[in-house]
Amino acid sequence: MKRLILPIIAGLVLGGIVHLVGVLLMPYVAEQDAYSRLAAIGEINAVAEIDDPSVEGAVLPASDPAFLSAVCLYDLAEGPVKIQVPPTDDYTSISFYTRHGLPFYAINDRSAGRSLIELDLMTAKQRAAMPEDAEVTAADRLVVESPSVEGVVLIRALVRERDAREQVKARLDLARCNGAS
Amino acid sequence: MGAPSSHRIDRPVRALLFFLTLAIGAVVGLGLTWMTTMRGYGPTAIRAGAWEAWPKAGTEDADPYARAALARAGELPLELADGIAFVAATDDAGKPLDGRCDIRLSGTVPQARFWTLTATDERGRLIDNAAQRSGFTSPEVVWNRDGTLDVALGPRARPGNWLPTGARGRIVLTLRLYDTSVGLASRTSDAPSMPRLTTERCP
Repeated sequence: MKRLILPIIAGLVLGGIVHLVGVLLMPYVAEQDAYSRLAAIGEINAVAEIDDPSVEGAVLPASDPAFLSAVCLYDLAEGPVKIQVPPTDDYTSISFYTRHGLPFYAINDRSAGRSLIELDLMTAKQRAAMPEDAEVTAADRLVVESPSVEGVVLIRALVRERDAREQVKARLDLARCNGAS
Repeated sequence: MGAPSSHRIDRPVRALLFFLTLAIGAVVGLGLTWMTTMRGYGPTAIRAGAWEAWPKAGTEDADPYARAALARAGELPLELADGIAFVAATDDAGKPLDGRCDIRLSGTVPQARFWTLTATDERGRLIDNAAQRSGFTSPEVVWNRDGTLDVALGPRARPGNWLPTGARGRIVLTLRLYDTSVGLASRTSDAPSMPRLTTERCP
């Protein structure tokens, strides 16, 4: 029995290490993570509609069925990306996530406070390279700094009641996500 | 050093103990990881009655357990600047929510620009029902005269705010508050007062 003590203790310590490494690596190795689910329906630097959640499930689990959603998978390697979203009458929000699902910025129609929400998404390096005068003319545009080169922009609009669905959808169809050209 | 004969016995035993170590390590490590990412989003939950929320999971400071659970489920969290989601799988008495029972949600909802209430099965899928209703939004719900709320959940149609549960076994409710200051609470002691959940009658 005595010779079992060391393997058991060593096994528990090893288990703890395996656990910690597993948890820390999970966002980077999970195969069915949000990005790969969205990559199946969307293209890079373009807006794609996300199907409504249904009895079969949703593209993204645990998404709110009261919202219409669209996604833009961005890639800043070629330059900044410009995002335009016309807010609806109720609640419109734009959320930003890195490639591995870390949320880093969110804005809604009220905090944007304008008739067309315009955002310039760029890396810290691209922002630093922006000419001074561009910074001035960009004063009424919102600059969002992305900690990663790739990521997800989730655009969501509340449908307050079923009748409003088509109207909200027509607004959401006008959302744009364009790479530098 | 032992006699040569004892060496011959020792080697297989040693190998066995080594594999035992590896086996314990793998089972404990993977088991712990599975358990901690299976339910909820890590240790930073705040609780209010039967409701649970993970405000930190929707921020840049999300802890590794929240990130692992979200990545594994394939979800993107509701960002805290956007809103906060409260999830309930039991009633206030701790009894699992059963879609075959009549359940009442009553009380006040924390201040928010909008909120939505959604019923799903335990795997997060919407519940099929003839009324085509999977939840309520704050503008469409009917309020009591004193500003409180009553929602009847159950398989049979009821007057007022009725949320069909399609006679499913286990159900899960999610109350999402949008554009709210509630998320600033990061401890259970600061948690807002949430609506009560009572199981009224079971068949």
